[in-house]
Amino acid sequence: MPGRDPEPEIEALRVDRYLESILNARERGSAAAPYDPELDAELRAISTRLSAELVRVHPSFRFEERLGRLLAAKAAGGRLPSAVGGGSGPPRPLGSDQFGGLVELADPGDDDPPGRARPYLIGGAITSAALSLAGAAYVAWRLSRPLHPMVRAIRTVHDQAAHESGLA
Amino acid sequence: MFRKVTAEEDRRRGHHLIHLDRDRALVEAAVLDPEAFDALYRKYLAQVYSYAYYELGDHAAAEDVAERTFLQALSALPRFDERARPADGEGASTFRVWLFQIARNVVANARRSERRHPSAPLEVAALVADPLDLEGDAGRRHEAGAAWEAVSRLPPDRRHALVLRFVEEMSTAEIAGILGRSEGAVRVLIHRGLRAVARDLGGRRW
Repeated sequence: MPGRDPEPEIEALRVDRYLESILNARERGSAAAPYDPELDAELRAISTRLSAELVRVHPSFRFEERLGRLLAAKAAGGRLPSAVGGGSGPPRPLGSDQFGGLVELADPGDDDPPGRARPYLIGGAITSAALSLAGAAYVAWRLSRPLHPMVRAIRTVHDQAAHESGLA
Repeated sequence: MFRKVTAEEDRRRGHHLIHLDRDRALVEAAVLDPEAFDALYRKYLAQVYSYAYYELGDHAAAEDVAERTFLQALSALPRFDERARPADGEGASTFRVWLFQIARNVVANARRSERRHPSAPLEVAALVADPLDLEGDAGRRHEAGAAWEAVSRLPPDRRHALVLRFVEEMSTAEIAGILGRSEGAVRVLIHRGLRAVARDLGGRRW
């Protein structure tokens, strides 16, 4: 558009490139923030700060497993079972036995290269029994080691066998 | 849904669609066998939950959004249409963009409902100040809480853009797809969002 000041767009593009370099540095496991002397110092500082402090929040394992069972039941073509807490109602509210906190963990998701740690906030329903160093260590271990599909399959067979033998 | 695109269609659309989505194999498997949707669910649960939590500031509400989002995605998966373009880059996932479009709608409905039934404000800061931080770095937790609060005070589009960029580590192209804006517009949203947060935190002392 004639007469339009291109400066904000140019600076926005520069910020975008800087954010990309921050994320790439994190992916490489580099602790040092990239330096771009052409970028305004205030934007550089706030970008670095937010990239460190806006952490991902993870739901509780209880919720993850419950919703996993709900989706599996739906995928299998069945009705949504109320026994697993599914249905149209919302999950039960959180009580005083839940907590959240900053823990350095590996992201269990997607295609992140091994060894890349990402800050995580674990939220949601974890019982007070887990509110210990051992509990936190287990949470960290579990998140850094997503279940192999074969392990899940073996557990499913094992659970079914146990269930059948219990009925017999 | 992934389907074969004829050469004629390809020419008409003016770009290549094939083999660009990094989730292609997982989505194809889930379309053939819905039980294989579990892999996509495990891969993206934390991202969807996190996005909802930043938007709504409440664990129960975030769980509700995650549940509705994945149930809707599972139902609608046969209608999913890959639209990755070469410009989206090698690591692009149009499935993730599609999933977050669903999540965004679910969050918007939740926020409308919240307005009708006001609930507690963002509890992120309180959670960050939780004593679980094993290093006991109270100062760091306080600063993180302040940053989260500043982001939560932004207008919706700027907040969405910052959360998707910093928390979900999405590319500008992916965010543009989710918000229905151009990439240039998303860059400007992020730029203005960062300026506003810096001013906010500056005014409150870092």
